[in-house]
Amino acid sequence: MLKEMQQVLRLIMLMGKQRQKLGLRTGGGLLLLLWTDTEVSTQKLNCTVNCTVAAAGPWCAGIQMEALQPALVRLKESMCPCVWPCNEPDPEELSAFTDLYGSLRFLLSFQVKDTRHCTSEWQAHLEAFLRTFTLANAGIQIHLKLKINQEASLREFSVKVKRRVALADQLLLTLDVTCSAPPPCCVKKGCWCVRGHPAIGGRLPLSIPPQTMEQGLFGDLSVQVVTLLTPCLLPYPNVATELTHIQVLVYNPSNIPVTGPSGFFQKLPAVLDCQELGLYRVYCSSFKDLVYSGGTVYTVEKDSWDDPEQESSLPTVQQSLLLFFFLQHSDPFTSQLTDLMATEMLIELHLEDILNNNRQALVAAVQTELRNTLKSQNHRKKQQEKLHAAAEVILGSSMSIVSSSSNMDFRNACLSRMKVHDTHELAASLRESLWRVTSWKFVPKAKCFSTKMEVHPENDEPTTAEI
Amino acid sequence: SSTHISISSQEILNRIESIILEIVTSLSKAEAPVLALPNRSSWANISFDSAIGLQMSSRQSVTTIRADCPSSVTKFAQILKILSVIYRLVQSNSYATKRDIYYNNTKLFGSQKAVDSIVDDISCMLKVPRRSLHVLATSKGLISGDLCYMEEDGTRIDCHSSSTAVSVSSNISGIKNIVSSAKFVMIIEKDATFQRLLDDDFCTKISPCIIITGKGVPDVNSRLMVKRLWDELHIPIFALVDADPHGIIHLLEYLSCQTYFAMSFEAHSLTVPSVMWLGLLPSDLQRLRVPKDALIPLTKRDESKLCSLLERPYLTSQPEWQKEMKLMQQSKVKAEIQSLTAIAPDFLTQIYLPNKLRYGGWI
Repeated sequence: MLKEMQQVLRLIMLMGKQRQKLGLRTGGGLLLLLWTDTEVSTQKLNCTVNCTVAAAGPWCAGIQMEALQPALVRLKESMCPCVWPCNEPDPEELSAFTDLYGSLRFLLSFQVKDTRHCTSEWQAHLEAFLRTFTLANAGIQIHLKLKINQEASLREFSVKVKRRVALADQLLLTLDVTCSAPPPCCVKKGCWCVRGHPAIGGRLPLSIPPQTMEQGLFGDLSVQVVTLLTPCLLPYPNVATELTHIQVLVYNPSNIPVTGPSGFFQKLPAVLDCQELGLYRVYCSSFKDLVYSGGTVYTVEKDSWDDPEQESSLPTVQQSLLLFFFLQHSDPFTSQLTDLMATEMLIELHLEDILNNNRQALVAAVQTELRNTLKSQNHRKKQQEKLHAAAEVILGSSMSIVSSSSNMDFRNACLSRMKVHDTHELAASLRESLWRVTSWKFVPKAKCFSTKMEVHPENDEPTTAEI
Repeated sequence: SSTHISISSQEILNRIESIILEIVTSLSKAEAPVLALPNRSSWANISFDSAIGLQMSSRQSVTTIRADCPSSVTKFAQILKILSVIYRLVQSNSYATKRDIYYNNTKLFGSQKAVDSIVDDISCMLKVPRRSLHVLATSKGLISGDLCYMEEDGTRIDCHSSSTAVSVSSNISGIKNIVSSAKFVMIIEKDATFQRLLDDDFCTKISPCIIITGKGVPDVNSRLMVKRLWDELHIPIFALVDADPHGIIHLLEYLSCQTYFAMSFEAHSLTVPSVMWLGLLPSDLQRLRVPKDALIPLTKRDESKLCSLLERPYLTSQPEWQKEMKLMQQSKVKAEIQSLTAIAPDFLTQIYLPNKLRYGGWI
């Protein structure tokens, strides 16, 4: 079922992409209805699931179902176990959807006979896939309505904070940059940046391996790297950061996430130059709290020789790095929707070969992104060490003067200001206050707190506030 | 309108304490502590008074040093450290040199220059002359001639020896029992010339006198010594410098005209308004017909330096000096004192200086 839904989604996305080049806006709604027939036996062995995919909104404006026929035929062919047509969806569900997003541009229903779909595990996989999808297609709001074995559930996938990123070739991405990490306790209300700031990395041309070319994949294949570091600590320049996790997500040219584990990416950490990065090691781990599916997660460990005592006292915020690999393909000889669909299937099928064929470049790209992130991390650490060392001198000198002063008015004034009883307590409370004030110095940044959804400077179009 | 008032030790301690209290108050309000340093390097802070020389004006532009900024926190810490050192020195009535302070914490300060600069900053911040902070400069000056005095620790100093000069003391204010029958004091720009006069037994030949050199740019102690001699002995002070823009700059140093960027705050106590320019004068070069190959053409930098010097407030009240400087501008040449050896090897000590002194050849 997941594969089938992916195919339908691919079709819609590729159509949308064709139209996007005309500079139209992305955004709108996607409705996924999944239900089991009540008449059919509830035994898990004989599960039939109906699926309706409906799309409305600017992202599919101009699509005409009639024009889609050839592509739909191919689609049906590729989705063998499906039954066409299937039961009609509940018109009430559809009207609720169209009320929100306007008239339907796309509507397709099919049926799948499969035992796996009735499990909650499968549901979790589906939701993870959709979440990963909205990560790079944040303009589309997804409504998932399930009615499996008389259990109904409704999930809405919408994004709180979006940011548009313009890549080369007029390609516009809308990314989900919401950061849900809770602010540390030292942070005042309203002074925490809840968004990430995507950075455009390198664009690597990928050479297509000969065996893939024999299968029919030609043209120019490349990958665009985009990074997202969260949580954002730009307003807190004096806090040290620590990169603990890296997640790699690969997206097809249609912007649909590539699912399934990637052998290439799983083995990648072993060939990274950890010494150059100043890290102890990077290894592939299974992230228990797997929010996004299909990604590969790395855990980062820095040098264990660092002074543990100093570490515990200096405030450090842990960060995660999201590495998006957006595959891009262009071939002047493939412009028909059916060809685009086929090309993408090829890319997905041979992805491991393609990645392996470009091993060096990809490893270098990951190394570069890590290096950049760690550079600013190391800079912060140095700044914090500088502040810390100076703070000790400041405190020592101040306390030396207070302790040796014979001016009772002065001493009492110092004690009463800090609400303490003796110089011992004074030293402790001054230290605590100085560290807090210097480490958590807040410098408001426009890009963290403005209400506009900024567009990347390469493509400066005015946008509406969408938060 | 401020006259020089001696600041009591307790007042200094109080001023330091008020700075600490401000820091504690900031921290009690969860605000980053900030120090306000009067901006010594800004022209806006300088004015000229003909009786005193150049001085800091009471309206000052200020630089803030923040404790929560990595680029300034080290300076903040350095200032506090030196404040705590000064506090202890004043409290215990003991003294330390700037060198001592640096060597006690080289890691924090990084360089002697940093210490020197901060001590001056603190002097401005507290509005207290540096020597009241009990921090002494290490002097590089030399002195010789008809002079005896006693140092603070009781050591008797006799400057009469003609073979070796005496190092200028680090603690001028501690000097007492000055005894001298010198008729004048001569400031000599260069160490080489000073040594020459020493070798030629200059101080006993013409009339009893005292010679002193700051070896180029005079340090504070050398200037303080000159001032002290002026105060105690009331004898004329002459200056023997090269006939070039740098020589004039060094001359002005003794008048505390040139130290805009460092010591203007202390102008009250360091000024010696009546230093007389004995030589080498640009008009001497013409008059004595110093050989042309001993003369050096002015560089572009020299010329622009001369122009800016002529605009200095002090020089507007010294027409004779202006005349000499304009002569240098016109002739486009400069000369060192050594150039007199081109006339004759011992021209300086045998002819030039005696004549100058006898016939009033100073301005």
